[in-house]
Amino acid sequence: MSAIRDAARVPYEHPPAEHWLARYEPVVGAGTLRALEALARKLRGHRIVMVNTTKTGGGVAEILHRVVVILNELGVPTTWEVMEGDDRFFGVTKRMHNALHGHVEPLTEQDREIYHERTRLEADRLALDGDLIFIHDPQPAALIEHRRQPGQKWVWRCHIDLSRRDPAYWDFLQPYVSRYDASIFSHIAFVPPITIPAYLVPPSIDPFATKNRDLSEHEIEGVLERLDLSPGPGWITQVSRFDRIKDPIGVIDAYRLVRARRPNARLLLAGGGADDDPEGAEVLAEVRARATAAPGVTVLELPPGSDLEINAIQRASTVVLQKSLREGFALTVSEALWKRRAVVASAVGGIPLQVLHEQTGLLVHSIEGTAFQTIRLLDNAELRRSLGDEGRQHVRDNFLHTREVRDYLAVFASLV
Amino acid sequence: MSDDRFAFCSVAHLEAPSGIVALSMDALRAGIERAPDDSLFQHVTCVAMRYPHARDLPSNDFARWVGTSLQAPDVAERLAYAGAATAQPIRELRASLLSVLDSVPQPERSREAPPEAAFHFVGVRSVPVPLGIEASDPVQAIDVWHRLDSAALFFHVIEAPVFGDAANSFPHWLRRHGADALAIQAEQAVAAGRPIARLRKDLGARWRRSQIGRRLAERAGAPEEERLREARAAMARLAGRLRGGAGKRRNDGGPEERP
Repeated sequence: MSAIRDAARVPYEHPPAEHWLARYEPVVGAGTLRALEALARKLRGHRIVMVNTTKTGGGVAEILHRVVVILNELGVPTTWEVMEGDDRFFGVTKRMHNALHGHVEPLTEQDREIYHERTRLEADRLALDGDLIFIHDPQPAALIEHRRQPGQKWVWRCHIDLSRRDPAYWDFLQPYVSRYDASIFSHIAFVPPITIPAYLVPPSIDPFATKNRDLSEHEIEGVLERLDLSPGPGWITQVSRFDRIKDPIGVIDAYRLVRARRPNARLLLAGGGADDDPEGAEVLAEVRARATAAPGVTVLELPPGSDLEINAIQRASTVVLQKSLREGFALTVSEALWKRRAVVASAVGGIPLQVLHEQTGLLVHSIEGTAFQTIRLLDNAELRRSLGDEGRQHVRDNFLHTREVRDYLAVFASLV
Repeated sequence: MSDDRFAFCSVAHLEAPSGIVALSMDALRAGIERAPDDSLFQHVTCVAMRYPHARDLPSNDFARWVGTSLQAPDVAERLAYAGAATAQPIRELRASLLSVLDSVPQPERSREAPPEAAFHFVGVRSVPVPLGIEASDPVQAIDVWHRLDSAALFFHVIEAPVFGDAANSFPHWLRRHGADALAIQAEQAVAAGRPIARLRKDLGARWRRSQIGRRLAERAGAPEEERLREARAAMARLAGRLRGGAGKRRNDGGPEERP
């Protein structure tokens, strides 16, 4: 018998004693919070139910943990329901996730039946008793078929990039999505042809999360020592999973061009574990092979949950690269900018929204361009400082959770 | 007159795809020609709102795309200039942008960016948010100015005038109350095309200064004891600022580091 995952519901009827919004005040300003409170007043008398399929792990759960608390603190009662499933259901939805990302996956009759069966069961169990139902991602999308009540507004929030979606899976999902009152996507390039209103709400970061919070020099040194890393001037890093679209080989090639002109430069490629991803393991092996031929390159495989390590590595870097060939939103860029790092990144996906060329970072289009801009930054502390300051400010204005909550509230306000 | 109080609103901008995509300057031109007003507003006027605390306001989205994705810096510069007047009517803005693109030689206009760097036109829907802050006359409006967030300022001094929304236009209301000089200052400050946070700060300071004469005249008639008490309080506030406790009022509407 298949195991049941995520059996626990996540009640948020009583927000924790700690006041998240108060923590944001010195960061975003009282005026911004006042406007957020005013927007929340428009939703007085309404109740939001968030639905996804996991309460731990992954970016969506991470965001929901914070956003649900903030909405409650703003006086908009919000609960969070977690759709349960067995291994068969999550097997189907994992393939669905991959297929919507562009990998070729078969969709069988049995897959459809498993998806429908679990949806029917969960539709009976979940407390979808608010008047604003906010469904995250494709897994719970079909709940609308069973549970929509008169007077409710349903919003589908898609966190994934649908630009290379497998048509078979989208054709399967689309009839459910078209029953929603509105949809939300992270980036304009991810929006499929759709008959309901679509809004764009970029993702955001939490400045107080382990991955982003301020660290003392002592903490940074401690973490790096544990990882056996000794940073110094000329430390270039790319923190990304080992995936061809992140172009780690291109990063090494660019680094070799840098090193030819700046012999003190060193490169750290740090990325998530590749154990469960056969292609990831292959890419990691290629990267390691290429790295042995380039002096000064460290390849570091980080286990899941290495947030503190990523924080310390980014903060200790002189230049942070994101030399992707294709991207989703690439929140790693906002994370680096929040830490006032000088960023060199490809002009793809959501990166140009975060990196304004010569203002908050430097955009590049080639290996040579990456090398050239990296050298510029290694040589110019004033330029690094200026881009870093502007980058942090840009993230403060556009990519913190308070902005994402504001956008969600605006979508709800437009519906009610 | 109680029914002519100015009710300040903040605004949230809901962005939505407009369905127009461009890979070349030709396609960008066609897009600008047929895009709805709110889309041009989003890509040009709203830049001031999206980068409220930038040291220098970035160019508009069209100019940046032409500069970075099409690698045509000269056209990018000209598009930037065409969109630099923050509060120009959309009809004029559209004509200026089209005139720049029409002057580009044909081979350059048809050169395409890679598909992953396409320009997607985005529209915007404004959701006004009443803040519960009102003013019955210009003096009171200046007093509450520091309590507004950048979005509120943008809404009342840029967005409403651009779309001819007299009910929410702050300069329009100032004129109705005989404060023409303040309205002109607001319009001149907006035309300068500065980031919204700096505009908010500059305008607030300029308006407060403009009230100094009036306040002095008012206080001249107050009893000596009251004036002394106020002077002592003002000195205490100044001392507090000098000690580093400054910024409480300034920070009311802005974030920690660059109010």
